[in-house]
Amino acid sequence: MIQTAQDMKTYRKKIHKALGNQFLRKALDNFASSYKASRVKAFEGIDLEALRCRIADNKDHALPHLESLFQQFKEKAEAAGAVVHLAATAAEANDIIAQIARDNGVRAIVKSKSMTAEEIHLNDHLEAEGFTVTETDLGEWIIQLRHEGPSHMVMPAIHLSRRQVGGLFTDVTGRPVDLEDIDRMVKVARKELRPAFLAADMGVSGANFAIADTGTIGLVTNEGNARLTTTLPRVHVALVGLDKLLPNLEAALDILKILPRNATGQALTSYVTWITGAVECAASSTGKKILHIVFLDNGRLALARDPVFSEALRCIRCGACANVCPVYGKVGGHALGHVYIGAIGLILTYFYHGKNNDRAIVRNCLNCQACKSVCPAHIDLPYLIKQVYGNVLKDDGVKPAKNTILSFAMKNRKLFHGMLRMASVLQKPIVQKDAGVLRHLPFVFGKSQDFRTLPALAETPFREQWPSLRPRISEPVYRVALFGGCLVDFVSPEQAVALMKLLTVHHVQMEYPMGQTCCGLPAVMMAETETAVEVAIQNLQAMSPCQYDYILVLCASCGSHLKEGYRRLLASKPELAETLKTFQSKIMDFSSFMVNVLKVDPQKFVQTHTSVAYHSPCHLCRGLGVTREPRELLRTAGLNYIPCADEDVCCGFGGSYSLDFPEISAAILNQKLDHVESTGAEILVTDCPGCVLQLRGGMNQRGGRVRVRHIAEVVAENLKPR
Amino acid sequence: MIHNNLAMMFRERAERVQAVTASVHNMDDVFRYVIDQTLKENGNTIVAPDLDALQLQKLEDLCQASGLRLLHPPFRNHTGDIHTALTGANWAISETGTLVLDSGSEDIRIATMLSETHIAWISASRIAPDASALAAYLRGKMASPPGYMAFITGPSRTADIERVLAIGVHGPQRLHILVMEDDPS
Repeated sequence: MIQTAQDMKTYRKKIHKALGNQFLRKALDNFASSYKASRVKAFEGIDLEALRCRIADNKDHALPHLESLFQQFKEKAEAAGAVVHLAATAAEANDIIAQIARDNGVRAIVKSKSMTAEEIHLNDHLEAEGFTVTETDLGEWIIQLRHEGPSHMVMPAIHLSRRQVGGLFTDVTGRPVDLEDIDRMVKVARKELRPAFLAADMGVSGANFAIADTGTIGLVTNEGNARLTTTLPRVHVALVGLDKLLPNLEAALDILKILPRNATGQALTSYVTWITGAVECAASSTGKKILHIVFLDNGRLALARDPVFSEALRCIRCGACANVCPVYGKVGGHALGHVYIGAIGLILTYFYHGKNNDRAIVRNCLNCQACKSVCPAHIDLPYLIKQVYGNVLKDDGVKPAKNTILSFAMKNRKLFHGMLRMASVLQKPIVQKDAGVLRHLPFVFGKSQDFRTLPALAETPFREQWPSLRPRISEPVYRVALFGGCLVDFVSPEQAVALMKLLTVHHVQMEYPMGQTCCGLPAVMMAETETAVEVAIQNLQAMSPCQYDYILVLCASCGSHLKEGYRRLLASKPELAETLKTFQSKIMDFSSFMVNVLKVDPQKFVQTHTSVAYHSPCHLCRGLGVTREPRELLRTAGLNYIPCADEDVCCGFGGSYSLDFPEISAAILNQKLDHVESTGAEILVTDCPGCVLQLRGGMNQRGGRVRVRHIAEVVAENLKPR
Repeated sequence: MIHNNLAMMFRERAERVQAVTASVHNMDDVFRYVIDQTLKENGNTIVAPDLDALQLQKLEDLCQASGLRLLHPPFRNHTGDIHTALTGANWAISETGTLVLDSGSEDIRIATMLSETHIAWISASRIAPDASALAAYLRGKMASPPGYMAFITGPSRTADIERVLAIGVHGPQRLHILVMEDDPS
C-alpha cells in the first residue's frame, strides 16, 4: 500500500503533487512553528545537553550487547510467564505472530500504535491470514481506513484535514459526522472502537522500552488504547525492535524524560505502562494473560555492528527530525520517507526496506543540520544520510553525470579553476552586466530553476585580483589567511575585498594561499567521499596553518566543513592528525573574528541605523554554533537589526540540492523571503555566499526591494572614512 | 513544608494537563467527592477496586443514600457501565503531575481504563519530585513479577486530527485527583 518512488522522475512528480496540497502545507507550517515553541518550553529547567549525551552513551553501550541483553530479557520475562521470540526477518516475525494467533484460536485482533508493526506490514499479513485487525490509535485507525501509511511517526494522520476525517467517519459509520467538530469525531472513534476492544481475542502492541534486567516492556501513549489493548484481550503480543533493549530501568527513565518533550512538547504522555510478565486476566482460561514478546532483528544486529551506521539505532522514535526538517515542512511524510519518515527514515529505509525504496528519497536532504540539532540521541543524521546515499550509488553502480564530472574536475585544482575561468568567458553573451546576473539560464539548468536568478561568474576571480590587492601591514596585530571557497573566489570576490578592507583598518595582515581549492563539501553532498578526502588533503597542505594566527572563512558551509567535516574525512590519516588539529583550531568565521578577537569598536563605524534583517546560515548557527556574534556585529557596525521569524531555518539552497529539487528549494526560499519582507528591513544580511546567491536570486526574481548582502560588505561599508 | 511544595507543584502540573485537583483530609471527604461528582455528571455507577471491606461498605451505604450503584468485581462483567472509578495511587510525581498506580489487579486496570471519570486520591506524603526518585520502588515492583505499573498523567487525550487537543479518546474522559493532606494527629 505504501508506494515510494524508486527513481527521481517518479519522485519529482510525487513532490510536485505534495507541494500543491495547500492544506498539507499550512498544517505542516503551523506545526513547525508551534512545535519549536512548545519544545523549548518543555525543556525549561532541564539540562537537555547532559540528558542527550547520557541517552547516546546508554544506547552506545547497549548496542554491542543486544544479543546478551536479549538473552537476559528472555530469561527474566519467561520466568515471569511470558514467551519471548526472536524473529530474524520481517517475514519471520509475521509468521510467528500469525502462529500465536492460530495456536490460541484468535479471530479478532486489536492493535495499538507500533512503528515496528508498520515496518513489517503486520496488518497486511494478518489480514491475509484471515484475521480481523483493527488499529485503535486514532491516527492509525484513520490511515488504516484510508489504506495509507503513516505520514509522521508520532502523528500518523497529520496530512489529513478534519473535513477529510469527518467524511471518512461518515462513510464508515453510515451516520453523518459534523465535518468541523473534532471533539465529536474523537467520540465517534471512542464509540466505534470500544466494541472492537471488547470483542478482540488478541492485542498487539509495540514497546518503547525493553528492560533486560527485569524483562519489563514500557509503553508510552496518550490515548489509552495501548492500555486497553494490553488488558482486555486474553492474548497480548508485543512486537519490539531489538534496538529497544536497555540494560535497566534507569536508562528507560532517561529516555522517558526526553521522549514526550521532544516529540510533542509534552512533559509526559497521559499514560506510561510498564508490563512485567503475565498478569492476571479473567478472559484467559488459566486466569493469566497469554503474553508473547516478539523481538525483531530485520537487520538490526548487523547494523549494531556497523562502525558508521550503528548510531542510527540510537533512535527513540520521537519524530523530531521530521518536525524541524524544512523539506518535511513542505512535502510531508508521504514524500519524505517510506515507512519510517523524516531524516531517520531516509537512513533506516535503506536497511529495513531496501535500496530501491531509498534511492530517490535519500537525496532529499538539504544538509541543513536542523534534525541533528534536535535529535535526543545525538545521531548525526545529515552525515548518515550522505553515507547511505553513497551506499545506494555504490549498490546501483551507476552515478549521476554530475558526480562523475565534479569528481573529475575537483581532484585537479588547476583544471577545476581553469574550467571556472573558461565558464566566465563563455557566459559573457548571457550576462546582464549592470546586475551581475545571468539574463537567462544555460539550457542545462532547465526551466525549473527559474525561481531565482543566478549570479554571473566574476569577471576576475579574487585569486587573480589578489596579487595587486594584497595589503602590506607593518607590525600587524595578527596574521590571518582567508579560505575563500569557490563562491567567494569565483562569484563574489567583493566579499573578500570587503574583508580585506576591514582587516587592513584593524592592522591585520591578510594572506590568500593560492593552493587552496574547493573545500570539498559539494563532493560530500554527492557522496563522493574519495574526492572529498583528496581536496581536504590539498587544502590542509595549501593553507599551512602553522603560519597564521587564524584561518578566516566568509562561507559558513566551508567553515563548518573544514572544522567538523574534515575530522571525519581524515580520521584514517594519522599522519595528518597534527596538522589537522592546528588547522581546525585556527578556523574562524568572519563575525566571531570581528567580535571576539578584534573586539571591534562602534566608534569606527558610521551609525547609519539602516534596518537589516538577518538570515542565520545553517552551517554557521548549527554547524559552527555561532549565533550571538553576527547579530552583535550588525549593531556595533551601526545597523538597526530587526529580528525576523525563522531566522535559523534554511534558505533552501543546499548547494546541488537546489538543482535536484528546485521546487522544494523555491518553496523554502519563498517562505523565507516572505518573512524577511514582512520585517520591513531594507537589507537582508547573511554570512554565507551560498545563502546570498539563493536569497538574492530569489529576491531578484520576485522583484523584491530588499537588498541581500554578505555581512562583511555591510560592515565594511559602514566604516568611517579615515 | 517539603510535602506542601511538592503537593503544590504536583497539583499545578496535573491541572496543566486537564486533571482536576482538590484537597481532602480523610476518606469521608473522598467518598463525598466521589458521590457528588458522579451525581453532577449524571452518572449512576461507581467502582472502587482497592478499598478494604469496611470502607467499601461505607461507600456502598453512601451510594445507596444517593441513588447510586456500587458495582462489585469482577469488573469484566461491567465493562459497559462503569461511570466513576475511585482508586488510590501508590505514588505521585510532582514534576509531571503524574499518578503511579500499581495495576497488577485486573479490576484496577478495568476500572481506570473503562470508566468515564477516574477519581484518585493520594496522600501528600507520597508525592515524589520526579520519576527517578521512584526508581527503587519501581525496580522492586518489576523484580517481583508479574506486574502492570501505570503512570497516569491527566485524562486520555489525542491530537491526531489537525493536532487539536481532544480529551477522552479511549480512556477516562475526566481525571480528578484528591490530595490528602497529612493528618496532623
